[in-house]
Amino acid sequence: MSEFKLDIKEEGDVVIISTDGYLNNVGGEKIAEACYEKIDGGKNKFLLNLERSSVVNSIGVSILIEIIEKLQDSDGKLGYYNLAPIVEKTFTIMGLTKYSTVYPSEEEALAGMS
Amino acid sequence: MSTHIDKDQFEYYLSSLDELGEILIEADRIESVASGILRLTLGTIMASNGAIFVFDRENSMLSTLSTISVKEKFSSCILTPQFIKNIKDYQYGHLDYDGTLDWIDKDLKDYLDISNSKIIIPLFHKTKLLGVLSVGEKFMSEVFTDIDYKILEIISNHLTEALYNYELIKNVEEKKKELNIKLLELETLFDIGVAISSVLDVNELAEDVLFRAIGVLNASKGMFIRQNEQSPILDILSMFNWGDKKFLLSKKIDILQKINNGENGLILTDDHNTELQKKLKENNLLVVPLRAKDSLLGFMILCDKETRKGVENFNDLDLDILTSLSNQAAVAMDNAKLFKEITEAKQFNESILGSIATGVITINALGEIDSVNKAGENILRLGQEEILNNHYMFLFEKDSDVIEIITKTEQIKKIITEINIPFLTASQETIVNVSAAPRIDVNGNSEGLVIAIEDISDVSKVKNTFKRYVSKQVVDNLLEDDTKLNLGGEEREVTILFTDIRGFTSMSESMKPEEVVMTLNEYFSEMIDIVFKYNGTLDKIIGDELMVVFGAPLAAEDDTERALNTAIEMQNKIKELNNIRKKRKEKPVLVGAGINKGYVVSGNIGSRDMMDYTVIGDTVNLGSRLCSAAGPGEIIVSKEVTKNQDNQFKFEELVPINVKGKKDKINIFKVNY
Repeated sequence: MSEFKLDIKEEGDVVIISTDGYLNNVGGEKIAEACYEKIDGGKNKFLLNLERSSVVNSIGVSILIEIIEKLQDSDGKLGYYNLAPIVEKTFTIMGLTKYSTVYPSEEEALAGMS
Repeated sequence: MSTHIDKDQFEYYLSSLDELGEILIEADRIESVASGILRLTLGTIMASNGAIFVFDRENSMLSTLSTISVKEKFSSCILTPQFIKNIKDYQYGHLDYDGTLDWIDKDLKDYLDISNSKIIIPLFHKTKLLGVLSVGEKFMSEVFTDIDYKILEIISNHLTEALYNYELIKNVEEKKKELNIKLLELETLFDIGVAISSVLDVNELAEDVLFRAIGVLNASKGMFIRQNEQSPILDILSMFNWGDKKFLLSKKIDILQKINNGENGLILTDDHNTELQKKLKENNLLVVPLRAKDSLLGFMILCDKETRKGVENFNDLDLDILTSLSNQAAVAMDNAKLFKEITEAKQFNESILGSIATGVITINALGEIDSVNKAGENILRLGQEEILNNHYMFLFEKDSDVIEIITKTEQIKKIITEINIPFLTASQETIVNVSAAPRIDVNGNSEGLVIAIEDISDVSKVKNTFKRYVSKQVVDNLLEDDTKLNLGGEEREVTILFTDIRGFTSMSESMKPEEVVMTLNEYFSEMIDIVFKYNGTLDKIIGDELMVVFGAPLAAEDDTERALNTAIEMQNKIKELNNIRKKRKEKPVLVGAGINKGYVVSGNIGSRDMMDYTVIGDTVNLGSRLCSAAGPGEIIVSKEVTKNQDNQFKFEELVPINVKGKKDKINIFKVNY
């Protein structure tokens, strides 16, 4: 597995960030940086496509929580799709899914975010 | 300072307090509580600016929670114990700040000076400093009144309470997070336990365990290594987050060698300087063995424990967790290895069973068929679905002999074999050899039977077809390799020997019928023994004539040589026989022999009801003619027969003869013996 990469696109008012790599301190910071830049630009709906991030640690989850907190200030939302079962389980255990939503696919995620 | 307030001012203060209550109830986050309270405070006492700082006792860090109209940037500073001790004197009141205090930390003092702070209120809950409220000068440079101070005191108390609650909630949140991480660790351990029973592919298992270990221990990277029994180089089954790096790791590497010698897992830090750290170019490592049943199967290595502040050393708890994960992984690996070995052994056995011609059927303790090999299906002429789970009593219901063998084996628990028995389960014509043996488990308990069924129908057929014509050795040769057996018509080169008793018809006329039969039986018995001695095929007995073929159904390089030897031995035997006959006062038997070599068509020739293996063609006819041309005691052969036989046999060329059906005269030779 190489360096953590992000691919960012927008579907309507939703920012979709596709990740590739370990969602840890480094990965989390990169996601946060990208989100904060978009939040400053007025965006408040974010979807993470975690198809290519099959490993996540609690530091990465903590950073996602920070992003959720930041989004709450602007009534924003964070959602995820294409989660590996182990990642979904980690999100659930770490309490992330109480404040953000896991979707089965991009289509359902976009429908859920609108 | 005046304590007198008018009614409007009183109502204003009351409404401020009312608003304070609302802020405390409504605001859901400490930042919004702080900013609400600060706004209310400054508005109530008409102060120009202010700030609320929160104090992190664990790190002695004072950081900004909320500011209003403060231009100076201040994020955080470390408070000295001296400051905390001195400010405690103002626990129940306030400190009028005038910039002359020397015990205030420099960063904070700079901030207070620049923001023109006038009042500092320490926010103590009992003995714990939770934060600080600073208030700038009053608008229009007015002086703060007693009522202002009182209001500040009331608000500060509420702010302290809010900070205290915030701290409590934060602690609860922290604990909750810690518990969640513990839960994640437990779930991971549990999941790996589940994987032990579900993942049987070692590579898949390695990746699964490694990824979980990395995630749960916040490692930045890791690898799962397997020992290679055939090589000192270790197999890296799974790597995570090393980029394109490739490592060649040997089991001789210091730390791994240590673990191999019985040491448990190790935490390596900057203080260590091991070969492994140099190889991996990483300092913070957690290395644990994958050990099952006292044998070392491999290692798991994690690298760099991440925190929000950076990388830190792994601790003993991490080592315990990884050791626990690796122990489970090792058991799973061992299981996977065992499963692989069992599968291979099973495939090996199945492949052996599948490749043998003998049908092998296993019967469980209930008498039901639980396995059958391909040959078994073929012999029974049934598919697996018709055989499996069927009781042997039903499966072999037409074959009482087979049922008896099985039943008897069950009773006496010894191997029983019956040969050459009909097997009606397959067909009327099927003949089989059957063996039944008890299946005994490791504890010596009987758990059913193994039945071996050998279809010998073809063997019987071959024996029936050839036993009258060829020697046992030829039959055995044929049975050893049935590819040699081609009973259909085919053209092949053979050597054919004909013998005929000269003047037998006239001789028999003067003999009693029983004497004729006795003479022929004696003659043929001796002759056929010689034919079989030289592996000739007795093709026909017509009256007193014998037709013997060498080279069909089995060809050999010495077919002609054997034919010549057969003829010579026959003539010598006849001489012996005639000496005996002479003593018995019987007329001599005089025999002529002819041998020819050439191509014939061989095969089972005849009608459907009456079919014989024979050879036909010109070569056969000429052989017969040569026999006719031979005088008593003579062996006449064609030119073809003499080729390459000069060294062993003496041939005398005779005058060529005319033969019926041949335009040209035929060169013939007499064998001198």
